[in-house]
Amino acid sequence: MDFILQGTAQALELLFSGDPETYSAVAATLTVSSYAMAASLAMGIPLGFALGHLEFAGKRQMRLVVDTLLSLPTVFIGLLVYAFVSRQGPLGEMGLLFTLPGIAMGQTILALPIVIALSATAIENTDAGLRTTLLSLGAGRRHLVTGTLWEARHAILAAALTAYGRVMTEVGISMMVGGNIKWHTRTITTAIALETGKGQFATGIALGLVLLAIAFGVNAGVSFLRRK
Amino acid sequence: MALYELENIRHHYNGTPVLSIDRFRVAENSVTGLCGPNGSGKTTLLSLLGLISPPAAGFIYFRGHRARPYDGQIRNKVALLPQQSFLLKRSVYQNVAYGLRIRKNTDNESGQVAHALSLVGLNPEKFAGRPWYALSGGEARRVAMAARLALRPEVLLLDEPTTSVDAASAQLMREAAAEAHLQWNTSLIIASHDMQWLQGICHDLVYLFSGTILGKGKKTIVFGPWQHTSGGGAIRTLADGQVLAAENAPKDLTGTAAILDPDDMSLHASPDDTGAKKNTLKGRIVCLDMEQHTGFIRVLVLAGRSEFCLYLDAQTLSARNWQPGSEVWLAYRPDRIEWKAPGLQ
Repeated sequence: MDFILQGTAQALELLFSGDPETYSAVAATLTVSSYAMAASLAMGIPLGFALGHLEFAGKRQMRLVVDTLLSLPTVFIGLLVYAFVSRQGPLGEMGLLFTLPGIAMGQTILALPIVIALSATAIENTDAGLRTTLLSLGAGRRHLVTGTLWEARHAILAAALTAYGRVMTEVGISMMVGGNIKWHTRTITTAIALETGKGQFATGIALGLVLLAIAFGVNAGVSFLRRK
Repeated sequence: MALYELENIRHHYNGTPVLSIDRFRVAENSVTGLCGPNGSGKTTLLSLLGLISPPAAGFIYFRGHRARPYDGQIRNKVALLPQQSFLLKRSVYQNVAYGLRIRKNTDNESGQVAHALSLVGLNPEKFAGRPWYALSGGEARRVAMAARLALRPEVLLLDEPTTSVDAASAQLMREAAAEAHLQWNTSLIIASHDMQWLQGICHDLVYLFSGTILGKGKKTIVFGPWQHTSGGGAIRTLADGQVLAAENAPKDLTGTAAILDPDDMSLHASPDDTGAKKNTLKGRIVCLDMEQHTGFIRVLVLAGRSEFCLYLDAQTLSARNWQPGSEVWLAYRPDRIEWKAPGLQ
């Protein structure tokens, strides 16, 4: 028990003293997760809207595929992206292996099905009277889309939060595609795994606390937006 | 030129036919009432007229131009108040202003919103800032109405606007609709079971049954069970034991309803003066309404728990001294009874 308390005390010291190694991992995590979330939301919300709102042949089958992809293991995504961006892979020339954009690409694949599936559910769950109301007030196609998304905004925010939580806490993609390179591609989760292996509990706990603080900050921000 | 002209309209939901109208015309600057039992196609017809959904077959012409789904030019002139008043998850102000904004009509937006709220009897200062969830059912219905009135539409389609609201709210809704017609020449098309209101405000009253237009004016529909008679007719025993007899009955009477036109019925003080060729039913007058447009009085007669509707002029009514509660003899023509099969064929 002592080593945990000692580790926590040291962790707080590392954080308040501005330890560069710790903050490098924090910066890397925020960078890749921001890229991944921006890409997955930009693609996922329109696709989720289409899946939830439109009727088309093969919709059920597509929904089944998207729901299945919710269970994608991060190590499998890491392996897949690694195969594509490694030197002999089809995207090898882009030099994405062991880079933050490489990790972001993998994390986008992880977040995308979550955003699509939960956005589609959010759209499906909007009141049946919404479409009639929007149309009856004169909404065209564009306003029908924006009005529906706005009405489902809380559920879509929840989808984004769920995806963000998964992206922030994954290890497999960051480790395999990023390579856990100090000062470069080391993220909070890969750093925790490494430091724990080395017996450096203080750094691990410090990074874990940062992860919790970020999650708290994001949720507090979303909660504030909901009240607005 | 007619406001609306419908030609050979057919509509169905998941393969089940719900509307079949060969021709229907609505005059400019008119007030048209749609009446008929639940499931008769009133809501579907309003939805088609509001261009909310396209018909499965047939054509809708708006002022001579063929209307197509999402036709922005036409839809900017038409507003529909659906049967279920759904409010957007915003404040009352935002709900009323929404239509103005998407139509880019935002000059003096707050003034327009306040005026629309006043028309439905809601104090703008008190209600504008309220969120959608802090309203009673009647208030929500009036906010939904205000959102349509704020647009000052050329055509206002109202789907049972006075249902599920208290008497005071219903009266405010009725007054707001009348105000729109008087102030802005808005054409109104109203689906409602409130016959008294429809009789009072409508120039035309269209009766729908089972997805088809039976004609103008209120018809009397007598549902089964009907039983065949030996002469090819059918009888329906009413709750008090009286028998309604009809000729020329269809072979299959399952779910079939008989339709009596008001012109084929007459009221009498005694069974002796009903005419030899007519059948009679004894009943009581339960309601008298004046049709303001024509001056005729709509008389509802209850016979064996079935309601029969016919029209009398004021002089006849006055001469007979008939009032609600008066006992009367209803004469009808068994040979003129029409038959309606259940659902669309």
